Amino acid sequence: MSAAAPADARPLARGLGAATLGLALGALLLARRPATRGPAPVPPSLPLPHRPARAETNANANANANANADADDGMAAPRTAPSEPADAALPARRLYQAAALLAASVLSDSALEHYRGDFENPGMFAPLASAAVVLACALRGAWTPARRGRAPTHRPAPRTSAGILSGVPYATACAVGVAGLGFHAYNVLRRPGGLSWANLFYAAPLGAPAALALAGVIGLAARPVAAGAPTLAGLPSGRALCGLAAFGLAGTSAEAALLHFRGAFQHPAMWVPVSVPPVTAVMLAGAALPGAPGRRRLTNALLRACTWLGVLGMGFHARGIARQMGGWRNWSQNVLAGPPLPAPPSFSALALAGRAALALRAAQEGWPREAT
Amino acid sequence: MTQPPRFPGYDVLAKWDSPSFDDVTRDVLAHRLDAVPPRRWLTPDEWDLLDAINARLLPQPERDRPVPITPWIDAMLHDDRGEGYRHPDMPPLRDAWRQGLAAVDDEARRLHDRPFAGLDADAQDAVLQAIAEGRTASPRWQGLDARRFFIHHLLKTAAGLYYAHPLAWNEIGFGGPANPRGYVRLGFDGRDPWEAKEAP
Repeated sequence: MSAAAPADARPLARGLGAATLGLALGALLLARRPATRGPAPVPPSLPLPHRPARAETNANANANANANADADDGMAAPRTAPSEPADAALPARRLYQAAALLAASVLSDSALEHYRGDFENPGMFAPLASAAVVLACALRGAWTPARRGRAPTHRPAPRTSAGILSGVPYATACAVGVAGLGFHAYNVLRRPGGLSWANLFYAAPLGAPAALALAGVIGLAARPVAAGAPTLAGLPSGRALCGLAAFGLAGTSAEAALLHFRGAFQHPAMWVPVSVPPVTAVMLAGAALPGAPGRRRLTNALLRACTWLGVLGMGFHARGIARQMGGWRNWSQNVLAGPPLPAPPSFSALALAGRAALALRAAQEGWPREAT
Repeated sequence: MTQPPRFPGYDVLAKWDSPSFDDVTRDVLAHRLDAVPPRRWLTPDEWDLLDAINARLLPQPERDRPVPITPWIDAMLHDDRGEGYRHPDMPPLRDAWRQGLAAVDDEARRLHDRPFAGLDADAQDAVLQAIAEGRTASPRWQGLDARRFFIHHLLKTAAGLYYAHPLAWNEIGFGGPANPRGYVRLGFDGRDPWEAKEAP
């Protein structure tokens, strides 16, 4: 009856929060699932006019259909043949998982924070809707090829109307993210003091809408990667994605640095997300440059660490909420005012994208495979 | 006189079992609501006089059971528990109240030939107004600043006790202690779901 009853949080917001947290966890679990590598029944198709590396992949993909029966296919390099079909499909799936996880993080984070902001501006619903659509589409993208047992590698770059339409949710996310960046910047600047540390700490965070745009870009990139396109935005796709993931990791780490500094680094673990991801980002940025592969094993290990950082971070943030006045019983305040539960998984998402990028680059350059 | 409530339907005690209240808050409030102390230090006449003064300072015509103020002042004087300081030109707590109450009554007799408690509301207001403005005639104010007694003792004490009561909290939309649950919407006009809702 009164606004002070225990069931005071609006049921809609409560449901939304629970659903998004559930989705975030689900996406996380999904992302941790080893990629299914069932036998890939490849429909007969013509070799596509791709770069040689790509054509080889296709040839190997075709070969792989018979690989079990016909083990010594002389054309395929022995070290790469058995799993070649996954070389495009696996990174694509990882990219979709990354986009889904990042979208889940943005969805739950913006749901919580914009609910806290009381949806003062109707535009504050936009990232919820956009991130939810990206989440749904990216989950579908991550699941569909695996379930059908068919990598969608045999379609030319998406020029059909369906192909263009499928990019709409991601492009929308980019647009919403950029618009959100503008709104958040305006929110910072309109406060007394303008561009000051206090306002960067306490006004609308600039990193959050950027994450939505990033989820959109990753989703947009996943489709051509799945289709086997060798380049993205004029760069070899592996290198382009390494750069993108490095940029995302660095940005997310900057956001964590800002907010953990605000939190006075009062727990030693708060240093981890401002130390490990930047190093990883530098390594990945190195992998984005042309030339020598660099220390791929180390980069990969760091990316794995970043993947787990998201899970670990959620645990630490949950503990942080428990340590606030009233603990989890006082969730209606502490989930909003305590450390943000949905924030750390963005590291996992970007690390997944980074691993996809690295695997793609390895495949494109014909580097020896490593466990990724 | 009686205005529509500014926070219609708001009852701060509905938070009793919510995360907004903890055991300490509940104990303090239960004591405040149920353990209203009896008269122990004031004389019956002083009690009636103080009750009449409080009824003019904070009229509660709309309440069947007014928020108790006089009993808590009596308890304060009985315990001799002040604020921990006093003005250098004022007597100690108990002396100030005893002398001040007697002076108020004397002032009423000088102005209206009757004890304060026997006056009608307008006459009582006139007496208090004169004291608040320092227009006093009684020699009983000797060594006691009348204006300071009115503002610092009578008015501030009564207001403090009145607004310590949950019924008064409902009136002003106050949520009680921000402990354990505080507030998350800290901007101007921000209202948390567990806060009182002001009538439009």
